Parts: sequence; structure tokens; C-alpha cells
Amino acid sequence: MSEHSDIAAEIARTAQRVVAECDGLDTASVAARLGEAGLLGVLAPEAVGGLGLPLSAVAPVVEVAEAGLLAFPLVETLLAARLLAETQPDLAAALVAGEAVLTIAGAGSLSPGVSGVVGRAPLGTAARWLLAPLGEGAVLLALDAPGVTVAEDPGFDLERPAARVSVSGATPAATIPAAAWATLRADALLLRAAGALGAAGHCMDRAIEHLTGRRQFGRPLVTMQGLRFSLARQKIALEGARHALEHALALAGQDPQGESVPRLVARATCAEAAPAVIESAIQLHGGMGFTWDLGLHRQLRRAKEAAAALDAVAARAALAGRLEEAWAL
Amino acid sequence: MSAAATPAIDAVAYRARQRAWLAENLPPHWRADAVDYRPPSLDEAKAWEATLHREGFWGIAWPRDYGGHGLTLREHLISNQEIGRLPMPESQNSIGKELAGPIILAIATEEQKRRYLPAILEMREIWCQGFSEPEAGSDLAGLRTRATRDGAAWRINGQKVWTSGAHRAQRCLLLARTGTMEERHKGLSLFALKLDQPGVTVRPLRQITGDAEYCEVFFDNALVEPEDALGEPAKGWAAAVRVLEVERGTNRMYRGWRFEEQLRHLVTTCRADPALARLLEDSSIRQRIAQVQVDIEVLKRLVEQTVEVLVGGGSIGGHGSLSKQHWSEAHQRFAALAVELLEQAPYPASPEVEAAQRRFRKAYLQSRAQTIYAGTTEIQLGIIADRILKLPRGEAR
Repeated sequence: MSEHSDIAAEIARTAQRVVAECDGLDTASVAARLGEAGLLGVLAPEAVGGLGLPLSAVAPVVEVAEAGLLAFPLVETLLAARLLAETQPDLAAALVAGEAVLTIAGAGSLSPGVSGVVGRAPLGTAARWLLAPLGEGAVLLALDAPGVTVAEDPGFDLERPAARVSVSGATPAATIPAAAWATLRADALLLRAAGALGAAGHCMDRAIEHLTGRRQFGRPLVTMQGLRFSLARQKIALEGARHALEHALALAGQDPQGESVPRLVARATCAEAAPAVIESAIQLHGGMGFTWDLGLHRQLRRAKEAAAALDAVAARAALAGRLEEAWAL
Repeated sequence: MSAAATPAIDAVAYRARQRAWLAENLPPHWRADAVDYRPPSLDEAKAWEATLHREGFWGIAWPRDYGGHGLTLREHLISNQEIGRLPMPESQNSIGKELAGPIILAIATEEQKRRYLPAILEMREIWCQGFSEPEAGSDLAGLRTRATRDGAAWRINGQKVWTSGAHRAQRCLLLARTGTMEERHKGLSLFALKLDQPGVTVRPLRQITGDAEYCEVFFDNALVEPEDALGEPAKGWAAAVRVLEVERGTNRMYRGWRFEEQLRHLVTTCRADPALARLLEDSSIRQRIAQVQVDIEVLKRLVEQTVEVLVGGGSIGGHGSLSKQHWSEAHQRFAALAVELLEQAPYPASPEVEAAQRRFRKAYLQSRAQTIYAGTTEIQLGIIADRILKLPRGEAR
């Protein structure tokens, strides 16, 4: 991992700058800007214009994107470009270049006749391509193909409103085998965990900034012990989750199916720490925290969606099962 | 604990060797999960720990010149992982080995290192830590025990409290005031006081577990010879802070692995009992057990990270407070869950369940100390706010 760490740091710096530049642009322009900066091909192999780096190298990019509210299906694009590099090299190259927009359905699955309703596809109305679950694997669909209807069906996320996609006997552009699909889903969870922690860290910094600048009772709020203790507890939760996640990212390649203890621990810790830290940051802003304009609700909305996908309860249930296997009498 | 580079040794072979030695040599009735559990006497424990040192389980990262094994914290971690995997007796001299030792290595003279360190590893001298006082607990800089010059020597007057193991110790790592009260932390010095002398009275205090493990220590003109003053006079605070950082960051590094061993003991005991096994099927219980495992995994990562930072030449700083705070509260939750489950066993319970009940009742009570010693929860949160988050302190704090 250390051989990649210089490159990873450089990529993170680029991401910091480019995410800020993307603010206010339409989806196609965001894609183009990210592609031009080389941020969409971090995972994809060199054959399709990518860098072929491991998952850990791209986590900082997702952190920055979530902190900065990037309006783009970044995790979906990064992983789809890697997934499709062999079988659909042209599409993978277009994704890496930022010339095509792809999204992934996060809920529902299609029946074997390639029919049904799937949803939670971020920015689905702006995308051209969709990966949707079917059986144990998935299918790649063109969203303008016959038999495919897309409608906005937003959840929490404001910058990437989700879409519902109704499919009736469509012809897939490609079929994704179960193993590859499982890897994509497992890795997507780790990247979403990274994003949620990035957003949480950003919101905590904002809260500290606010408490440092604001005077009440004749002194800066940040000097009050109750508030310092609250921040210290958030920091413990955040650092614990961060270490759990880094461990899972470092070992991700050894567990492509996503069932390992490190992945489950990362899911459980990040799903609970990230929203709690953002909720606390809102609390520490007082009445201002509840306003639309302060904007911390935007990171909270995104982190809550990530937490739902990470599913701490399911992760712990799986861990309990793993303990039973390991300690069978 | 020098982080100096030494030739890399084969970690896999090293671990296998440590594991095999422990498996072969740990007396079965000393295992805390044994039905006939019987902890070693003090003499047995001393002999056992001296053997452990000879076999490479203590002094791992200390220089060979002082009785150490000249390896690195990486091997120290591996050995601790293997120690943690077994329900072994706790060290009777962890203050000597994990607090006094590192501070001696950092600030003592060459002569002192050669005199103190081998005696610690060979269990000839057990140490205790004389920091807290009745009027200076968390506010350590307010301590009053006074050290005054008597020629080249020092005379000590005052009282320490919560001094774990003082009743079995030969030496006290003593923090005492050589300056004025107004100087606060600037007027403190460290000493290696001999406890076996007329001016020292040790009185054990009974704790909530029923044991009398910690003590009051009274000093009435107790003598410290010149060669037992540690570091520069009036620099005791900086050294003490360092001791406390080590205490929080590296001591009992096996904890995460020991907690996992405890969890395994709990789960396997419950599974073997028909009534408790049914509880294990309850989804809310399963969630809580899994959360214990999550907490343990996070602790392991925090400890491994500390080792990597130290091996890379960094310092622990306030980061020990993150892991100390995490493990202390996590272990309280775990011990409470264990008691909650085991007390549901039908009466009369099997010998195995009864053994586990005894172990975890004690662990539960003991865990109440864990958010108090080595800096209370409130002190740790303050350190995290001050030194990790670097929050401005302001004038009125």
C-alpha cells in the first residue's frame, strides 16, 4: 500500500480542488471535469485509461466528494469502470473519460425476464446507463432502451436525487456474473463508508469552527467543558471507525465476496459513527443547525443513505454468525 | 521501548514459537476459564514471570544491555497477541515492566538502567506507582508529598493513595514536590524509592471486588539515596506525562486479544448450557455480542496503529487516550452483558457455568475501575479535546 500512498495523496489533493470546481455544474459537465482530472479511473485498469489502483487509493477521493457534496454517482462510476473494463471496454473507457454517466440501482431487483422495478439509483434521470440486480448477478441496461422507464423518486440525498426504473422485457447490454457483482457491491459499501466518514469529519470541523468563533456567557463556546467532551466523544467514534475502515480497505482484495470480519466491522462502525457525528455537529450549531441554509443537513442526508446501505444491524447479525462458526463446539 | 531498527525477524516463525511455548507451559489451573481455576501465589507468579522473561515474553523491546531481548515493538505486539489469546494470570509487576521501565530507559542514568531494569525483568524488584494523593488525584499537579534535601540524599514526607501493588512492591516510582505548591507541575521530581525502610508504611485498601490490591502509602521522613533520584530535579512532570502516555497507549497491549478470549469463553459456556444457548439465539442478544466483537476489533486496530506509529519513530502523544477511553467503556459494556447472560442460568448450574459466573462477576466489578485508573474518563476526554482536537482553551477554563 505504501508504494501507492504518494499517488493516493496526489489524487486526494486533486479531488479537493476539482470537487470544489464542480459545484453548480450539470451532471454531464461534472462528469467531464472529473474525467479530465483523472478521478474516475482510479480503480479501472490502464487498458481503459485508468490507473488500476487498489480500493484504498480511491477512498480519500470519495471522502472529499461526500464532504463537498459532489453531485455525481462517483462510487458507482469508479466501480463500474473497473467491472466493465474487460467485457465492455468502450463503455468503461467512456466512464473513465467522463463521457458517459452510469448509475446503479440500490434497491429492488429484476426478474429473469428482465422486468420489474428497481430504485435508489442516484441521478438516474441524468444517467445513460444502469446496473440493476437480477438473480445473484446483474444486468447492464441502456436507460433509453425500449421497455425502460425512468422517473425521479428522491430519498434523502438532495444533490443526487434517486430514480425509480421500471423495466419491461428489456434487452440487457451485458450480463454481470454473480461473483463480480458481489465484489462490486461489497466494495461499494466500503467506499460509501469512506464517504460518510469524510462527510462526518467535515461537519465536525465546521462545528469546532462555529464553537470557536461564537461567544456566549462571556466566552467562546468551545471553552465549555460539556461541549469539549461531546466533541471528544465524537472524535473517539470517528477514529475507531476510520481505523476499522482502513483495515477493511487494506484487506479488501483478500475477500472479494464481502463476507470477511474486517468488512463487517467497518460497516457496523461507519454506519453508526458517521450520522451520529453529523447529528452532533448540527446540535452544536444550536438553532442555526436546523436551518436549511447552514447546509449540514445535506451531509446528514447523504450519510443516512450510506448508513442504510451499510446496514449495521445486518452486519452485526452476520458477525454473530461468524463467531458461531469460529467457536463451534 | 526503543524503536531502533533491528534486523527483521520472521514474524510467522516468531509467533508460532511464542504460541507453542505458552501452550506447553501455562499450568492449566492458572487459566481463568478453568473449572478448577486457582491463581498462582505471589512466589509462584514471580517464578513464572521470571521464566516468561527468560523465554522472551518480557523486555522484548528493551536493549540487551539491560536484560532485554533487543527486538522491536512489533515483536512485543506479537507476543502480547499470543498472551492475550490465553486466559493467563496478569503480571504482578506490570508497573515495573510497562511504566517504570520505559521511563527509566528514557531518563535514567546508565548506572541506574543497569541496576533497575534487570531486577524488574527477573522479578527481584516489583514496582508500584506513587502518583495519586488524597488531595491530588486527577489534578495531579496539586500533589503535596514533599521531597527535601538531606545532604546529597532526599527525605520524603506525605501520603500516596490508590497505589496498586504497594504491599508486594520493593520500589515506588514516586512523584514528589521539590519546589513550591505555587509552581504546580514545575516543582515536581521523580524518585525510585525503596519501600522496605522504617519511614514507609503501606496499608492495603479493600476494593469493590473484595480484593485489597491497591494501597495507601505513608512517608515519614523516608530516605531516598542520591543514586535513586530519577532524571533532572523539577523535570518530574514532563517525565510523568510521558509515563502516563505510555500507560494509556502501550501497557497491557494484549487487552484486545484477551477480551476476545473472554468473549469466546462466554459464548462457548453459554452454548454448552441448554437454557443459555436459547438466549444466544435471541436477535437482540446476538446484536450485543456482535457489538462486543466490533469494539474488540476496533481496539485491536487502535493498538496496532500505535505500534506502527512508535516503530516509525513517532510519539504516542494524546492518542493513547483514544484507545484507553475506547477499551475501558467497551469492556464495561462487555462485562455487564456477560453477567446479564450468565446470571440467567438455571440453578444449580454446571461447574463450567459456575466458573464463568465467578470469572465474569469479578470482571464486571473490576471493570468499574477501568474508567477511573490511568486517568478517568473525564481526564481522557479533556486530553482528546486539548491535544488531539487542539480546541482553544480560552481564558476562563
